[in-house]
Amino acid sequence: MISLQNISKRYGKHEALQSVSLEFTRGQSIAMIGPNGSGKTTLIKSILGLVVPSEGAILVNNIDITAGCDYRKTIGYMPQINRFPEHMKVSHLFAMMKKMRPDVSDGDYDEELYRAFEIEKMEKKKLGALSGGMSQQVSAALAFLFNPSMIILDEPTAALDPVSNELLKGKINKCVDENKLVLITSHILNDLDEITTHVVYLMEGKVRFFKAMEVLRAQTSESRLNKIIVRLINEEFANVEA
Amino acid sequence: MWKLSYYILGDLIKNRIILGYLLFLSVVGWGVFFLESQPEKALLVLMQVALMAVPLIVMVFATIYYYNSREFILLILTQPIARSAVIKSFFAGLSCAFILSFLIGIGLPLVLFYPSMESFYLIISGLMLSLVFIAIALYVSIKVQDKARGMGVVLLLWVFFAFLYDGFLIFFMYQFSDYPIEEGVLVLTLFNPIDIARITIIMKTEASAMMGLSGAVFREFFGSSKGVLVSLTILVIWWVLPFVLAGKIFSKKDM
Repeated sequence: MISLQNISKRYGKHEALQSVSLEFTRGQSIAMIGPNGSGKTTLIKSILGLVVPSEGAILVNNIDITAGCDYRKTIGYMPQINRFPEHMKVSHLFAMMKKMRPDVSDGDYDEELYRAFEIEKMEKKKLGALSGGMSQQVSAALAFLFNPSMIILDEPTAALDPVSNELLKGKINKCVDENKLVLITSHILNDLDEITTHVVYLMEGKVRFFKAMEVLRAQTSESRLNKIIVRLINEEFANVEA
Repeated sequence: MWKLSYYILGDLIKNRIILGYLLFLSVVGWGVFFLESQPEKALLVLMQVALMAVPLIVMVFATIYYYNSREFILLILTQPIARSAVIKSFFAGLSCAFILSFLIGIGLPLVLFYPSMESFYLIISGLMLSLVFIAIALYVSIKVQDKARGMGVVLLLWVFFAFLYDGFLIFFMYQFSDYPIEEGVLVLTLFNPIDIARITIIMKTEASAMMGLSGAVFREFFGSSKGVLVSLTILVIWWVLPFVLAGKIFSKKDM
């Protein structure tokens, strides 16, 4: 569904991404991990067309994303930092977003998270007055609202309370079962364990590996994702020193 | 695209600064005709407002509005909406808000109390200047990432167009007063939208009789219908060009 072909991005002299090539398909739930500044957000923003890569091409459903904006109909995005227009009310935001999407008709909204997070209770509040967790709830509900076939979540669980966290994870698993593509970045590896099928490890703008969870488990004989990663990183350091 | 413009306009109409702008223009526009018995004098006061205050307020507000809307723009751009539509909607929304304020605050009293050619040109020039400075403000705020620097650039541009440029022009005219430079000066005024607007209006008023020899050249040019056409065309270029350039940068910008 998403194909990245030799993507590079330079900010002045700094190379945020160095010829990244990846193929993601339906039914995968991909965890994108890596240290701060490894290029995770840049990669996600490139797929969304918010950042224009210096080199390379991105195909979504076999269509080059520079061809037009229609491909974004199939993508739901939950950003890392929710910076909504401060003075807008929550109800107003949802009404406006629905108006912006005439391609999705009334009955086709996916309001599962909207109801689960009880967003109607905060409808009268201004977006600027929401707490960090609440605005992440709003953001998550928006990402799933238009029934996208691909969902991109940038640090989704950082500010969510445990109950909301489980609700979101449940929703993500459901999407994978529905043969949708899910792409998640997170530092909280424990959260990723139950919801990922594949792992991409980025470092200094390069892809270190892109493997299925079963392969990684077999390779390291560990079951938890955080242990697997620590193991792999240590092995790499050992290799460098040797 | 129109939905987005409509939404932005709705947001702007509720904005306190826009309401303040409307109030300010209305107080000056309507008030000046009650205080001044001669409508010609009232027109000159309103001309100063249209040439000085309008560009400043329009440009500062449009800049702040763009910077404050960056989160909103990011949100919109993750939806299937083209970047060109976003920037056009912003321009359309801001333009409508400022045009409406100007028409109600300055346009309406002029038409009611002093219906004349001068008033007509003043209204046209005021509206054109609003568009010009919205376009320049958008160009600067898209080009300059940092809010404080963008604000500084915008203020400097206003000082330049409102005062410095004329200062240089007068200095130039004084230095070369022995030579026939009227046509050169005429060309130079076209590089400043405020000057174009001012001369177009003045040429229609009695005040133009007070101008000396160089004024004759101006009068011959700007006073004729061809001159007016040229000056209006150049004002159109003055808003289309920055807007097109702003759109170009915006379409390739990293958000």
